[in-house]
Amino acid sequence: MVRHDVVVVGAGMAGMRAAIEASRYGVDVGVVSKLHPTRSHSGAAEGGINAALGNAGEDSPEKHTFFTVKGSDYLGDQDAIEVMCEEGPGDIYELEHMGAVFSRLEDGRIAQRPFGAGGAPRTCYAADITGHVLLHVLYEQLVKSGVTVYEEWFALDLVADGERCVGVTAWDIVRGGVQGVEASAVILATGGLGRIYRGTTNAYACTGDGMSMAWRAGVPLKDMEFMQFHPTTLKANGVLITEGCRGEGGYLRNGQGERFMFNYAPNAGELASRDVVSRAEQTEIDEGRGLDGCVLLDLTHLGAKRINERLHGSRELALDYAGVDPIDEPIPVRPGAHYHMGGVDTDVWGKTVMPGLYAAGEAACVSVHGANRLGGNSLLETVVFGRRAGAAAAMEVRSNGLGGVFPPAAVRATERRIRSMLEVERGPRPAVLRQQLADTMYDNVGIYRTADKLELAKQEVGQLREQYARGVVVQDRGRTFNSDLIQAIELGSMLEMADCLVTGAIARTESRGAHSRLDHPERDDENWLRHTMTYYDGGEVGLDYKPVTITKYEPAVRTY
Amino acid sequence: MEVTLKIQRYNPETEKGGLETYTVQAEETATLLDVLDVVKDEVDGSLSYRKSCRMAVCGSCGMRMNGAAVLACKTPMKPLVDRGEVPVISPMGNLPVIKDLVVDMGPFWEKFRAIKPYLDDGGEDPPVKEWRVQQHQLDQIMKEALCIQCGCCVSECNSMEADPDFLGPAALAKAARFVYDIRDRGGKERLELYNGYHGVWDCTRCYFCNERCPKGVDPRDAIAKVGGRIYQEGMRDDKGARHAKVFVESTYKTGYLLETNLVPETVGPIAAIKEIPFALKMVRAGKVPNPLKPHKAGKLDEVRRLEKLVAEREREELQEVKRGPARPPDDLQPQPRTDD
Repeated sequence: MVRHDVVVVGAGMAGMRAAIEASRYGVDVGVVSKLHPTRSHSGAAEGGINAALGNAGEDSPEKHTFFTVKGSDYLGDQDAIEVMCEEGPGDIYELEHMGAVFSRLEDGRIAQRPFGAGGAPRTCYAADITGHVLLHVLYEQLVKSGVTVYEEWFALDLVADGERCVGVTAWDIVRGGVQGVEASAVILATGGLGRIYRGTTNAYACTGDGMSMAWRAGVPLKDMEFMQFHPTTLKANGVLITEGCRGEGGYLRNGQGERFMFNYAPNAGELASRDVVSRAEQTEIDEGRGLDGCVLLDLTHLGAKRINERLHGSRELALDYAGVDPIDEPIPVRPGAHYHMGGVDTDVWGKTVMPGLYAAGEAACVSVHGANRLGGNSLLETVVFGRRAGAAAAMEVRSNGLGGVFPPAAVRATERRIRSMLEVERGPRPAVLRQQLADTMYDNVGIYRTADKLELAKQEVGQLREQYARGVVVQDRGRTFNSDLIQAIELGSMLEMADCLVTGAIARTESRGAHSRLDHPERDDENWLRHTMTYYDGGEVGLDYKPVTITKYEPAVRTY
Repeated sequence: MEVTLKIQRYNPETEKGGLETYTVQAEETATLLDVLDVVKDEVDGSLSYRKSCRMAVCGSCGMRMNGAAVLACKTPMKPLVDRGEVPVISPMGNLPVIKDLVVDMGPFWEKFRAIKPYLDDGGEDPPVKEWRVQQHQLDQIMKEALCIQCGCCVSECNSMEADPDFLGPAALAKAARFVYDIRDRGGKERLELYNGYHGVWDCTRCYFCNERCPKGVDPRDAIAKVGGRIYQEGMRDDKGARHAKVFVESTYKTGYLLETNLVPETVGPIAAIKEIPFALKMVRAGKVPNPLKPHKAGKLDEVRRLEKLVAEREREELQEVKRGPARPPDDLQPQPRTDD
């Protein structure tokens, strides 16, 4: 049993930023993460991070706010978006002062490039390894802060004393065994859930664990049906090719060589919003104008110099995973599950409805992305709201003190859960169910959705959850680095979160942002300008709704 | 395609292990990591290895294939299958094995922490906006900034095999990233961390780190950069620095390395006396040139011109770094933010 004032679960950018901030308030901070911090998926972000610095052209936080609201298809909470866009520049400067190697303009200021639907060159970048650079800078600062990090501890359950969150239980992956982690405040920063889909850009670790922990503890999840499909992912393994390629002037072509985007977005073309571009690609592919299930991302006209300087990482990925050198030939790409807009419902300080529980980053839904996230806004969200959650949690601890009492029975309960998983003799292997889940999500809850397909997915997910409840076989029975057990536990989270996603999607009979219903093709503000709240209802998914916060921008028609 | 591989297994709880052979079906595009996944999912769930991003950026899946460190997710299997090879997969070297292909990265991160792995702001307040930095100044650390801390270089480090306390290629490449960052105020105090025992001079220049790095960081070059800076700052008391000095001076004088000067000038005259028996042995073996009549290169002028060229280039590079002053000049000072 260990104790800290503030415990952060997850050590990607949001988690580390939260931990660094909390430690600045003089409280004792611990970080629990199933991966070593630098292994987190924030590091895979390539293109950049938005903030209205105005370095490369006229820009303002108001403009950033408006385009984010529009990009969200008006589902984003405008008070939260204002916070992010106004505070963003300060967070970028802070990252630069920490040592981030942002690419530069001639005059030495941070360079910025245009990203889809942003309305200005607003995306700061470090070549095309922005997430990697920022993740490592935050880890440097985490080391400097002296925060205790429990590396390769897998958080399993939230622990409550009455209403109040008083810590988590965690499985020590390297040594084995359940540990109690007591805290006066817990911040969930566990990232997304892309692994519920086949063909995802996400790392193997993105299995929705934190969202699932919160959901099981009775905390509602918001807007779970909104899954962003990124327009440019590699066919073989779903690896992301950055939007920066189009920001630098790359073209999208169909199988006939035609630049098709202007048929769908007459003004923005390739730099329309991600949901728009992904739908356009899918339509081209579905109508027979694709090439082997893909379209082509053409960078050849940019020239070797520019590609090597600004898009070196993308070139390397294309060479490694598609066997294509983008200097000489276009890269076959297709839409892939990329970013989950939904998550644990929080206010602008990361606070959830459960006292003592906070959330930040992709695991949370503040909501700044609404129905569709703009490229470059997710890294920004992690630092702005990670910082805010860290500050708020530390302040709460300083004013409230201890909080509640960590019940020792909580560790025993989690131990029983693990032991029973290790005792299953007969049943399917977790990988089999995982594959079925990923298939049904990709086939039936993809870019274009219909009631029939969604119902089919709901049924299949339900069956998979039943099978899982009856038990999956963990072949590794040892305690030391039992990744078989970890994957089996992760599968449980994935199934629950997939159920929330599908249930929200069935109910929402409109098309908005990334949720595109062929049977309800129009946006329906009268009935659906509201957040979906999915909550735990005796193991099933309960539904509720919550109004959207609108400050300045009344919903308008969204064209690019 | 059908893939066969041998995996070095080890279970710490039973203390059993050894090479196991697995044959599985995998996609043509499969990487080593994909194949390990098939083995784990379909053959033996108890096989342990680390993985996460599967796109060569998280640094989890470092391991050895046929004795050389690789990132499993960046290693396509088809070429091996086509050649009919059955590769041996084993854990990374120079780090204790926990289970199967999983090593204890603890010592790795200890060294990371030992090099003061964060920007030293010298306690100064930063500007309101960003530091003005030229791209070419940042370019000097972009290679080191690519490092994903996977440990492949450390796995292959010959020097660390002999001295487990050697800071090693990954930590020293990280060090270079700060030494050559014009925003860093660490100065000599920072360099001192890399100058002593187990520091830059302990590298044997075998270049295995450069060869095995999956990200093109070239850690050996980074170590040379740090050593160069230490030398330029006049911190030449360490044996390593003196050793380097002999090389430079004797090639200038004669165009050759004066082996007879090497030991006394590196370790000092008193310590050198202890080496006399060894020196005599070398004389008997004909390995020592006549110290009274040192051989000279025929085209000494050319050697000196070369040396001058290298020195000039280095000076230019150094100035470029130094041109980023303690503070940017007034006309480049960031303007205060106007919060209107």
